[in-house]
Amino acid sequence: MIIGMNPAENHPISMQHILTAKETNRAIIISVDPRFTKTSAFANKYVRLRSGTDVAFVYGLINVILAKGWEDKKFLAERTYDLEGLKKEVAKYDPKTAADITGISAEDIEWIARTMVENRPGTVIWAMGGTQHNDGTGVVRTYCHLQMVLGNMGKPGGGCDVFRGHDSIQGVTDVGGGPETLPGYYGVGESAWQHFSKAWDVPYDWLVSRFKNKTMMEKPGFTVARWYEGVLMDTKELGQDVNLKAVMFWGHSTNSMSQMDRVKKALEKVELIVDIDPFVTNTAVLPDRKDGIYVLPAATNYEQWGSRTNTNRDLQWGDRVVDPVFEARPDLAIMIDFAERFGFKKQFIHNMKGDWKGVPASMKNVKMLPEQTFEDVLREINLSCLSIGYNGQTPERLKRQHEWGHVFDIKTKKAVGGPVDGEQWGLPWPCWSDKHPGTAILYRNDIPVSQGGCGFRATWGPKAPDGSTLLAGRGSAPPGGPNEGYPAEKNYATDLTQEAIKRALAENRSPYGNGRARFNSWNIADPVPIHREPIHSPRPDLIVKWPTYDDVKEHYRLPTLYKSLQKPDWVKRFPLILTTGRVVEYEGGSSRERAAWWLVELNPEMYAEVHPKVAADHGLRHGDYCWIESPEDLDDRPSRVWVKVKITKRVGPDTVFLPFHWGGMFEGKSLISKYPEGTAPYTIGESANTITNYGYDRVTQMQETKTGLCRISKPKQA
Amino acid sequence: MAQLSTIPQRGGGPQPQQATARMKFYVDAKRCIECGGCEVACKNENNVPYGIARIRVVTLNEGEPGETNIAIPCMQCSNAPCVAVCPVDALYHRPDGIVALNKETCIGCGYCLYACPFGAPQFPKGSPFGARGVMDKCTYCAGGPEVAFSERERRLYGSNRIAEGKLPMCASVCSTKALVAGDAEEVAKVVRERVAARGAGGGAWGWDTAYGRGGS
Repeated sequence: MIIGMNPAENHPISMQHILTAKETNRAIIISVDPRFTKTSAFANKYVRLRSGTDVAFVYGLINVILAKGWEDKKFLAERTYDLEGLKKEVAKYDPKTAADITGISAEDIEWIARTMVENRPGTVIWAMGGTQHNDGTGVVRTYCHLQMVLGNMGKPGGGCDVFRGHDSIQGVTDVGGGPETLPGYYGVGESAWQHFSKAWDVPYDWLVSRFKNKTMMEKPGFTVARWYEGVLMDTKELGQDVNLKAVMFWGHSTNSMSQMDRVKKALEKVELIVDIDPFVTNTAVLPDRKDGIYVLPAATNYEQWGSRTNTNRDLQWGDRVVDPVFEARPDLAIMIDFAERFGFKKQFIHNMKGDWKGVPASMKNVKMLPEQTFEDVLREINLSCLSIGYNGQTPERLKRQHEWGHVFDIKTKKAVGGPVDGEQWGLPWPCWSDKHPGTAILYRNDIPVSQGGCGFRATWGPKAPDGSTLLAGRGSAPPGGPNEGYPAEKNYATDLTQEAIKRALAENRSPYGNGRARFNSWNIADPVPIHREPIHSPRPDLIVKWPTYDDVKEHYRLPTLYKSLQKPDWVKRFPLILTTGRVVEYEGGSSRERAAWWLVELNPEMYAEVHPKVAADHGLRHGDYCWIESPEDLDDRPSRVWVKVKITKRVGPDTVFLPFHWGGMFEGKSLISKYPEGTAPYTIGESANTITNYGYDRVTQMQETKTGLCRISKPKQA
Repeated sequence: MAQLSTIPQRGGGPQPQQATARMKFYVDAKRCIECGGCEVACKNENNVPYGIARIRVVTLNEGEPGETNIAIPCMQCSNAPCVAVCPVDALYHRPDGIVALNKETCIGCGYCLYACPFGAPQFPKGSPFGARGVMDKCTYCAGGPEVAFSERERRLYGSNRIAEGKLPMCASVCSTKALVAGDAEEVAKVVRERVAARGAGGGAWGWDTAYGRGGS
């Protein structure tokens, strides 16, 4: 089941595997999406889901499965927590109710449930279509719950596949790209900082001294989705006592952030903007300002080397293909340069095993870092990120795999013979030692830990707040060790000698224990997920029964609005659902792709996908220009974009789709004169995120850009 | 050519090349996802100018059930109509079956454009008086009648991957292996495997037109 995702455009290579599954295994492909995508064209069954109603749809499936008694009772009894809590919630979503919310017929819901049951193990694949909602965390959790109810977890061919969007984006998450954690998901609490002060071999007090105080040190920062409010909002409302004064963009562009008019204002108010990218991005041209913008050219991934972590937790070693061209420098050289100017280069390039080899005394104009620098970065990750088993993927092993790639079986991805015999390709984490083969499939309990087996994490202790056990049941553990639930090995994540991990492995136990997967996560909003109507919902009647969350006073240092913006009369003035996504020619903010004329030739201009009926009702023809306007949200006027109409039945008659890659235009005005000479891309266009609506996930603060409202207005003279 | 396909396949070790291969394309209409990788890779590899498409992905029934994508290069037909109609013999078959073009003989008459069932011939100009310029088409990444790898060949025809022992760029980068290129026998094996897996239909779009029902 592919839901909220379009791999044919966003992950073309993965379609090779999906089509092979369809052709040789007779796998049934179900595509669930508000759009009939290029992927849907290859599905055996396509159903059109109203954007933002995933929870109701999946609960509809689980409702049918439980009603018929098709669930995997053994799996649920041994390896999950609080099925009763889930049952209570799911009972509200009989197929008829789910059909009313989602727009998918009750018959289709029953057919999909039956098909998933009859074709076990099946997999659920999703991407940003599932996460970019005010209840995105709930959506993702219900996908997992479906797989738990079906008993599809921890099995070859089963599980949950989240496809990530860029090279090493999983790696970025693993090394703490988010504002709420240090590398390895340790959080930002004192124990996390203590652990890293040991791993980095710097005094804890020195780390504290770099912050205003200990409270701020342990407080999650702003998110990429809303950093600009840290510039704009009154400090009385903020979770810190000063506004942000500088912003640095590193391989990220503003045109993938919602609320573009607020972003623009913030970029005009900050004192300093630094844009680090191989190409000049939308960030540098969006604000109306004459100075205080610095563009630093970064090298691409082909001009530097090192490890990268794939969607499925694989690590791969990449070689440098060419030296950095023009003035470009490797990201790490730029980073060390900053550390030098800020006065902590010595600490930055130092760790327990000594300094990174050969980094020059002054980084001024250094174009290429010496061999071993990127190796030393990975060694530091090996040393510190024990929580998720990042210790076994040493540079030496990855390079050896790189050299011996031909001996890996194309189906099992396991090496046969040679020095890499028995290893999994990419040593997917957890990879518990330099002998461990890596864990290709998480939570698999039919093979020993030493071969990549593991239970669910026992992260939450032995007992839930209601007193029931969180350790897995008898008979559920990977073979070879104690065949029952057990807690995590003491200090396994913080013992830098790795003695704790070795102890567990010697007894064939998973270092992080053998626990239960939770249907009820008592420590986050909506412990058991419930359907929340999008903040800008087209169904006022459903807002009453399934409202969004209460407003939150402080969430990642910001007040965040939910109910106070969910107005039933939005839809009267903005009758169409607005959704956004990617197209195959471009990626992200796309300053790189829009500078490649072959791609521009294939997809030259920003457009909106509009259903033939909507176009006809607005008097628009294929190729006409129109304004698309969004609700005013925090500002007093609607934002709008000037785009071409593409008439297509990909979207339903209630939806408008915008690709979000374009930039360099703002509300009808070209910004092309603001690009430094010779750096303007071949195509500029309105950014979809100028009009995406306000709305953020209640847990992660991911922006709600997949569901909003809009209206089309035809210009007086075309 | 016909006797080539009767050379028995052996299960033993790697075989030396025994005879000139006959090159073919397999355009699998059940696999192409219109990612455009072939179009972009072709342009980059061969320096194809803006507006000329040596390979183009065509989508039928976009956004509706039955949506189908077809990547269309020059199929290098066995009994090629373009070769038959060319008044100056600028188009001809190489021994390996590739339909080659001599740009310096071509007079830009455009007969091949009307004869070709695939729309492969491309012309750089359009004018009210019918002048089209010299024809350009997919070379199967085999360059043209010039010294291999010479600057002149590169400028007129693009790269010569065949002379390097490599397959055409478009098929090499195809994300779903919908576009397969190579020796007819190897390509036929891929078609057979896919037909067997699917139960029916190899989705080999345009094969009857390009290579005839016998598949010679």
